[in-house]
Amino acid sequence: MSPLESLREALRLLRAQPLRSLLTLFGLVWGTAAVIFLLSWGLGVRTMLDTAFQRAGKNLLQTWPGKISEDFSPAVDRRWLWYTVEDVAALRERVRESDLVAGETRRFATAAFRGRALSLEVRGVEPAGEEIRGVPLASGRLISREDVVHARRVLVIGQRARERVLGADGRVGSWVRIDGTSFQVVGVLGRVGTQLSRDGAEIDDQLWVPLSTYAALWPNPWLPVEMLNSILVRARDRQRVDAAEVEMRRVLAERLGVVAEDEEAVPIFSPVKMLRRLPVEQQNGLNVLIALTTLLVGGIGILAMMLDSVQERRSEIGVRLALGARRRDVLLQFLWEGIAIVAVGGALGVALGAGGALLLASDAFRGRIPPALRDLVPVPELSGVVVLLAVLAMGVVALAAGLAPAWRAARIDPAETLRVE
Amino acid sequence: MTAAIRLADVHKRYAIGETEVHALRGLDLEIERGEYVSVMGPSGSGKSTLLEILGCLSQPSAGRYWLHGVAVDEVDADGLARLRGEAIGFVFQAFNLLPRMTLLENVALPLLYRGVNRSARHERALAALARVSLEHRAAHRPGEVSGGERQRAAIARALVNRPSLLLADEPTGNLDSAHGLEILTLLEGIHADGATVVIVTHDASIGARPPRRLAIRDGQLEADVRGVA
Repeated sequence: MSPLESLREALRLLRAQPLRSLLTLFGLVWGTAAVIFLLSWGLGVRTMLDTAFQRAGKNLLQTWPGKISEDFSPAVDRRWLWYTVEDVAALRERVRESDLVAGETRRFATAAFRGRALSLEVRGVEPAGEEIRGVPLASGRLISREDVVHARRVLVIGQRARERVLGADGRVGSWVRIDGTSFQVVGVLGRVGTQLSRDGAEIDDQLWVPLSTYAALWPNPWLPVEMLNSILVRARDRQRVDAAEVEMRRVLAERLGVVAEDEEAVPIFSPVKMLRRLPVEQQNGLNVLIALTTLLVGGIGILAMMLDSVQERRSEIGVRLALGARRRDVLLQFLWEGIAIVAVGGALGVALGAGGALLLASDAFRGRIPPALRDLVPVPELSGVVVLLAVLAMGVVALAAGLAPAWRAARIDPAETLRVE
Repeated sequence: MTAAIRLADVHKRYAIGETEVHALRGLDLEIERGEYVSVMGPSGSGKSTLLEILGCLSQPSAGRYWLHGVAVDEVDADGLARLRGEAIGFVFQAFNLLPRMTLLENVALPLLYRGVNRSARHERALAALARVSLEHRAAHRPGEVSGGERQRAAIARALVNRPSLLLADEPTGNLDSAHGLEILTLLEGIHADGATVVIVTHDASIGARPPRRLAIRDGQLEADVRGVA
């Protein structure tokens, strides 16, 4: 008997008792759907976190002024440390694993426009920093090298800050007063979205002015130099984040005259490192394990159904053997039957799981999520690999659930089943 | 020419639970090709066990069996399956049609295991059904036809491979006498066409019809009578 005929035979038997077949298939359908959906979901979660953590800059390393820790210094020397533009220049020159370095300053200030006044975060930035942040423009231009050189009173405004400060009638060219000084809006940033890793306000709420303008208007009252609130360093790529950190720490420790191992003196933060500490892969692994367990339970259901079916059809098997079926024919018939059942259930499961993943990824569904939450709801990532994995797992279940009953069926003694009681 | 069937000192023992049944105790028998034979005996005499051995469904515990000169104990499992499918036709008391299949599909089953293609299967199964006057029932399932029709379909299935040996185990046991006679007439027609036919029965009126009549008791041949009863 050819596989095709065994398969046709198996499908006939599935159709003969549709309700029982469907009930038995449910576990398998659900398990397959769960494997596909949870794998896609997990990939979506990873992307969502990756994006949300790196919205303020890809492959970013950031340092703030630190303080010498007790572990590395006698009790008398517990100085606060600070960074200046010279530190930025030194890093730019000596950190080979980095392609961009920038200094940044920030403070809260009152922004006023046509009678509206709001307290917002103002940042002193330079072009390299803007490039590291990688925010697209909605209109106008970014702060340029010339703006910094000439300490111009120009302003680039975040998307939400624009809505709140300028309202409907504000645009590029408008004048905004920041703590009493007038700045002309030269650019409006595009929407950045929810930042799971941020230093202060979200970029959407920030006002950017040239670093030099900032230093001139709001000098540090305690220090004779231009102090920076932070230094941004971009690693050349994700793989070089750790190497860039090592170099960065060595350069800064040397310049500050502290021990390189003193992480309190040179605190370096990186969203990539933070992401690594999140148990995303573990959670995904656990999800898939649970889904595979469901699939296994579905497989056990099919095993039970098949064993039952063999028991019920002993005389049928006897008749087939009497009519010239070889043991191999009987074995294959039941094996194919098991595979056919798993294939039907698996196809339904793939449709359900993939359908669910596609639904949650669809614009129609995304549109219903409140905008404030949208950035944090993962978009399931359905891929051929995901489906292939589910199909592979199903294949293993099919063989496991089909083989034992088929083996049992093939060993039935025809004489015994044909005896009339 | 070799005999259709030759048994030499055949024994059969099997266990039912913890008791061992000695169903056949040294049976010697020869049946020529084209013979029409009945096997009679009370229940438990071993006549069904004999039929199982003749049909290659089970092997003797001791002794030997030659089917058309072939020593059955020397044939491997696949070879036995082929013998059952090609050389032997079975008719059972309980018909043993597969309930989920149509009569046509039931009749075509032995052809399926011989690897006959779909259209040839269809054609030959339909011809076999015509032989038992059931072609108009081809698309029905066994549950939709009468007992007599079921047994006729079972005979068509036994015929479809044109076996040289037809084994019938109480073929009329589940039928009334009118339908029983119809079945016997069919079996006798098959014999007339040249097949060796062996009918196992405990019904004396049926057992008396064939020209050669065997009686079995306690696993041994009690009588072997030839000629018109």
